[in-house]
Amino acid sequence: MPGETEAVSLSGTPTTAELAAVSNEEETRILSDAIRSLPPQAVKDLLNSEVCIGCILRLFGFREHFHFRSSISSSMLHSVLGESEHLEHYGILAGSKSGEELEVQQIVCRMCLGILQYLYRNDKGILVQKLSADGLAASVDEMIKQDGHEIDGFSLELSVPPVLLEHDNAVWSYMKKRYGQEVGIAEETSKCVSVKDALKLAITYPIENMLDVKSSSIPSSFRIRLTYSQTKPSSSMAKSPGETNGSCKRRKTGMMNDVRMSFSVLVSCSFCFCFFAADVNGVPVRSSNFSGDQKSSEPCNFPLEKVNEPYYLALVCCRTPIYIGGRYLKFSRNVSQTRWIIDDERKGESSVEEIIGSSILPACQGDSYKFHAAGREDIDVRMLGSGRPFMVEVQNARRVPSEAIIKETETKINSLEEKLVAVKNLKLEVNNGWGLMHEGESEKQKQYCSLVWISRTLEDEDVQTITASKDMKVLQRTPIRVLHRRSPLEREKIIHWMKVERVAGSSQYFLLHLCTQAGTYIKEFVHGDFGRTNPSIGSILGCRAEILQLDVTDVKMDGF
Amino acid sequence: MADHTVQESNDPEKQGKPEFLLPVEDEGELRKLLVPDPENLPATPSSAVETNFVSYFAPDFTKPGHDQYVYRHANGLCVVGLAPGHLAFKDEGGITAVDFNVGKSDRSGMKVTGKRKKNAQHFESNTAICKVNTKADSYIVRCCVKGSLLEVNDRLIKQPGLLNSSADREGYVAIMMPRPADWLKVKASLMSGEEYAKLREVRVLN
Repeated sequence: MPGETEAVSLSGTPTTAELAAVSNEEETRILSDAIRSLPPQAVKDLLNSEVCIGCILRLFGFREHFHFRSSISSSMLHSVLGESEHLEHYGILAGSKSGEELEVQQIVCRMCLGILQYLYRNDKGILVQKLSADGLAASVDEMIKQDGHEIDGFSLELSVPPVLLEHDNAVWSYMKKRYGQEVGIAEETSKCVSVKDALKLAITYPIENMLDVKSSSIPSSFRIRLTYSQTKPSSSMAKSPGETNGSCKRRKTGMMNDVRMSFSVLVSCSFCFCFFAADVNGVPVRSSNFSGDQKSSEPCNFPLEKVNEPYYLALVCCRTPIYIGGRYLKFSRNVSQTRWIIDDERKGESSVEEIIGSSILPACQGDSYKFHAAGREDIDVRMLGSGRPFMVEVQNARRVPSEAIIKETETKINSLEEKLVAVKNLKLEVNNGWGLMHEGESEKQKQYCSLVWISRTLEDEDVQTITASKDMKVLQRTPIRVLHRRSPLEREKIIHWMKVERVAGSSQYFLLHLCTQAGTYIKEFVHGDFGRTNPSIGSILGCRAEILQLDVTDVKMDGF
Repeated sequence: MADHTVQESNDPEKQGKPEFLLPVEDEGELRKLLVPDPENLPATPSSAVETNFVSYFAPDFTKPGHDQYVYRHANGLCVVGLAPGHLAFKDEGGITAVDFNVGKSDRSGMKVTGKRKKNAQHFESNTAICKVNTKADSYIVRCCVKGSLLEVNDRLIKQPGLLNSSADREGYVAIMMPRPADWLKVKASLMSGEEYAKLREVRVLN
């Protein structure tokens, strides 16, 4: 009786205790009772039209996980429907529980195309029949373990072709017309449980069980994605409309809060190319108005078309990118920030990106990484002082590194034999560090120290002149050394302050400390770049000035 | 690492270490990295131009005495200007005026925009960029290199004297962007700084 089933649990995910209480026999009994509670003629009608038990139950609003976990056996179905009935008369045969023989030619449910029968074609195109949701969960478990993922939670994402909603509608309206009065069928289709919801109910618990984790309401970075499709999935399978690509860097915060949310968009019917809007539950909004719109087929009618092939199932388990951030220092004048290769030849000895990334990647056991920093410095410029903020984005990390592991990684990088690069404050970034990075690049002040030579003796007066200037405006035409790849513009920049430190034993060399606006070209400010940077140290002092070396001593940024 | 001393000056402000703080935990460590060893400092370091550009010369370019230079950067851009042996420098009073209005257009009026250098005009090596005037005469300065004209030194309009004082730096005339193939062709006809110095018995480079 429906009453009994409701007493067990009304929430989507039953507690362990409740589930433990429902043994195999109990489950079979509940299923049988559920079927018995329905008008037998309606049930036979649907079975004859090749609709599986799972779809029958969800059509009538049964929404407990055990309604969909595995099918009732043929013999049980036999007893439920009455001894006198011959099952061969029914188009569809229930899937068997373990121990009983499987039918050689499984008939595919016309409503869910095998999804709730756990019948599908895998990525190699081979037909797979699982006995229950547990079987499917086992495949997921196997995939995760094979890949070596360490997880403490997961988010389940299900994608099914939108035409299934049309099927639901068609069958429901037929049932309402034919049996409406007798059965007290719900007035709205929303009482139906969608295929997606049913499947989610069915497999969440077994997956949780096998992985020994909980599927949480807070989105986990680990995604288990089941995508059912009509055609063989290609490599771009993951990017169906409305779905997020796990490694897409544009959508970081606030995405995928709920499995259903991502599908509440305008969806296209893969069968007949018609479009219809779906609401949060994936149920079409006034689908009948839309479906007649586009070219080709009419709205689906009951009985549905015969289905010979179940869907393809693409199973993907991966983690969305994680971010490890910190500050780096560069002690070498022969190390570029990022990999720099021209004509198959590497410029410089190594790169900050590779030195840091190659240590972080194994710590996370990821597939690949991307390096992001708040600005950059030339290969021959050292990055000293507080260091420059950076973030390493790791794709598909097999594990989220603990604090201890991160600390270990930091130490490892800092203990490398060639002290080219060092890192500070290495930590897992949970909040959106992007804004900070770009802000750091374009807004934050930077402090430098440069070794300057002038063509005459440095007088005290000169030191005074330089030191006295505050917030000096300079106009910089795009330096010739970058003019080939940047727009020719004249940019106004501000030199906030400058200090001169004389070098002992020399009258023409001195250290110039300066603090400038982001985006200022320091080298050009010293030597003038053919007079295209104005004023310059040379023009201020009325002589020729050259820069021998440059170091960044501070990138003024909080939060890293 | 050699010991270093900060030279005190009489200026009270400069007593002791610079009063601003270097932003690190260990200021001492940072200072050690920053301060150079005076023993290793050359009396006259090579200039930015010498380090980053290769200098070429075109003596008697299209006309006797019209010597020009081409400084080529590693990225392919070429800075062109008047070489020390140019006749204009021999006229009394030197160069007095520069006029970019030559040929069909005023070269100082062009606006090149964007990374792809839209609106840059493509010129032959003998296309005129500007005219320089002395008291006695006027001379045409040409591209020297076939390619896109990215920029002209419009400061010369107000300050033609830059050509007299520093034709090899602030007195540059224009920046050209030749295609790699075009560069290779013209390169063959140019001479090195050394050869030019010998030819004209002048000093080149700084």
